[in-house]
Amino acid sequence: MPEQERKLKMNKRKITQKIFIGLTAFSALFTASLLVLILGVIFIKGASVITPYYVLTPENETPGFNQGIGNAIAGTLILAFSSVIIAIPLSLCVAIYLSEYAKKNWFTTVVRFMIDLLAGTPSIILGVVGFIVFVLTLKFLTAGFSLIAGAFALAVLVMPTVIRTAEESLKRVPGNIKEAAYALGSTKWQVIKKISLPYALPGIVTGIVLGIGRAAEESAVVVFTAGYTQFMPRFGIVHLTGKGLLFDTKIVPFQEQIATLPIAVYHSFEFANMVPRENGFATASVLIVIVMLINLAAKFVSRKYGMRS
Amino acid sequence: MKLNIKKLLKDKPYLFFLSSTLFVIAIISVLIGVIFYEAYPAFRDNGVLGFVFGTTWGGDDHKFGAWYFIVGTFWMTAVTMCMAIPLGLFTAIYLAEFAHPKVRGILKPAIELLVGIPSVVYGIFGLFILKEPLRIYFNPLISNTLGKIHPFFIEPANSDGRGVFLASVILTVMVVPTIISIAEDAIRSVRKEYREASFAVGATHWETIQKVVIPVALPGIMAGITLATTRALGETMAIVMLLGNVMQPPSSIFDVGYAMTSKILNDMPESFTFPEIAAALFAMAAVLFVIESIFIALARFICRNRSGN
Repeated sequence: MPEQERKLKMNKRKITQKIFIGLTAFSALFTASLLVLILGVIFIKGASVITPYYVLTPENETPGFNQGIGNAIAGTLILAFSSVIIAIPLSLCVAIYLSEYAKKNWFTTVVRFMIDLLAGTPSIILGVVGFIVFVLTLKFLTAGFSLIAGAFALAVLVMPTVIRTAEESLKRVPGNIKEAAYALGSTKWQVIKKISLPYALPGIVTGIVLGIGRAAEESAVVVFTAGYTQFMPRFGIVHLTGKGLLFDTKIVPFQEQIATLPIAVYHSFEFANMVPRENGFATASVLIVIVMLINLAAKFVSRKYGMRS
Repeated sequence: MKLNIKKLLKDKPYLFFLSSTLFVIAIISVLIGVIFYEAYPAFRDNGVLGFVFGTTWGGDDHKFGAWYFIVGTFWMTAVTMCMAIPLGLFTAIYLAEFAHPKVRGILKPAIELLVGIPSVVYGIFGLFILKEPLRIYFNPLISNTLGKIHPFFIEPANSDGRGVFLASVILTVMVVPTIISIAEDAIRSVRKEYREASFAVGATHWETIQKVVIPVALPGIMAGITLATTRALGETMAIVMLLGNVMQPPSSIFDVGYAMTSKILNDMPESFTFPEIAAALFAMAAVLFVIESIFIALARFICRNRSGN
């Protein structure tokens, strides 16, 4: 091929490459700037409403809807923590089983598939099933719509997240320190308890914190299990006959409805004629800040304590 | 074999972890069981095929059919994927192949933060901020240009901005980070021997990406796309605010529709007094669950075929 033709063809290939590099860079910048755009607009629109009064006061002490979100903030935090606390023991045990004991047989495949199924189930399906199971069937335990019902349903929701992260970190424990322990005569459980778990702990904590974040931003499940209330959560044990509760006692706030921030945000849509838009954005801003702080905490834990070996 | 079982039964930690795994499997099975148990009356009265393809909902003859909702979910997911796949794939290529590490260090966390925004917040963003500009400027533009080629792009006369397009735009932003992170991982894990061989025969960087890297990374990319599709199928809170909630097959990209998840969310409170509506809603949840399971199984199958995953 003569020199000129060769140069022309090469130039054409180079130009094609430059075009595509530009295209890919553009889409990357576009996607990243979407974040800035969305967050920026929400924060700017909501900023005027965010005052210490707004953040700290529960809705029952304010006139109208969504003039105070103290109840929602407290509720979200309590609900998220409770659901993860319920989820941790089971999830950790399953993660230990999957990483340490499971063999490559059909049973393990089924287990992993079902956990994947749970992870991929739409949250609204978990919500309506949670309604049937926790609000209706287990009414004597949960007193209907309540924090504990929501916590159980959310625990089921976050279990796959915690299981996956915990399993990943357990798998990353280097083989040589485990083998050294075996060589000294440890049993399998001793190796797990004294070597694998401590080593994998940062990763496990990361998974737990991610689970808290996931539970805090969930709304479809909460709508059908935890209800909503305008009051701050109150603590105590109440004797209440005639409602079919176990032992006729009610442990508050667990067996009462609880407010959550995602539902408070949803109110700005549901009651759009009663809630000013700025309030909706303010609630959303507070929720975003809380969730982002939680996610940043997870990243911080994983980066500071996880990068060993 | 017999000796092994006796030995296993004496291993207490193993039994403990195995039984907790079995308990989790039981929980997931109860979840599936409740869905289909509650759905059974609707399938019994309408027939399984009759329910899936039926087009009436309630009314005097008490026949329920999920077809229009399946169509609504389908169109919304399809349009979302048409926008999300190119955007996500190009961004992933840029981040994995062309980006300077410092640039990547800024862009990647920014994109991952998009996942941390709760879906209700996306919903109110789409409804209160994005809907009007789209309706006034963008939709007529598309309607007048592409609309002349095919009626699919024509904007209905009294559109208030809600519809398949608005919902898909927001849903794209929600699923794109999933595609980006999985696709980027897949691209980065292509062994450098493949790239070097391609460079050795004279290909440019872009040609290498096109003809070598992408085909090798394709299973991982497809798995990411499949997972993003499951996320889009199951999304509730944002869609219910943006799709329009009218039971009809959308006549165009700007027309309204009704997604399965939104219908379940909206009608569930009504179902407390009418058990047959509850059964129909659970039947729709069952259909949605089956669709999701197919996609999840598909993603696992693709990952399995890829060696070393």
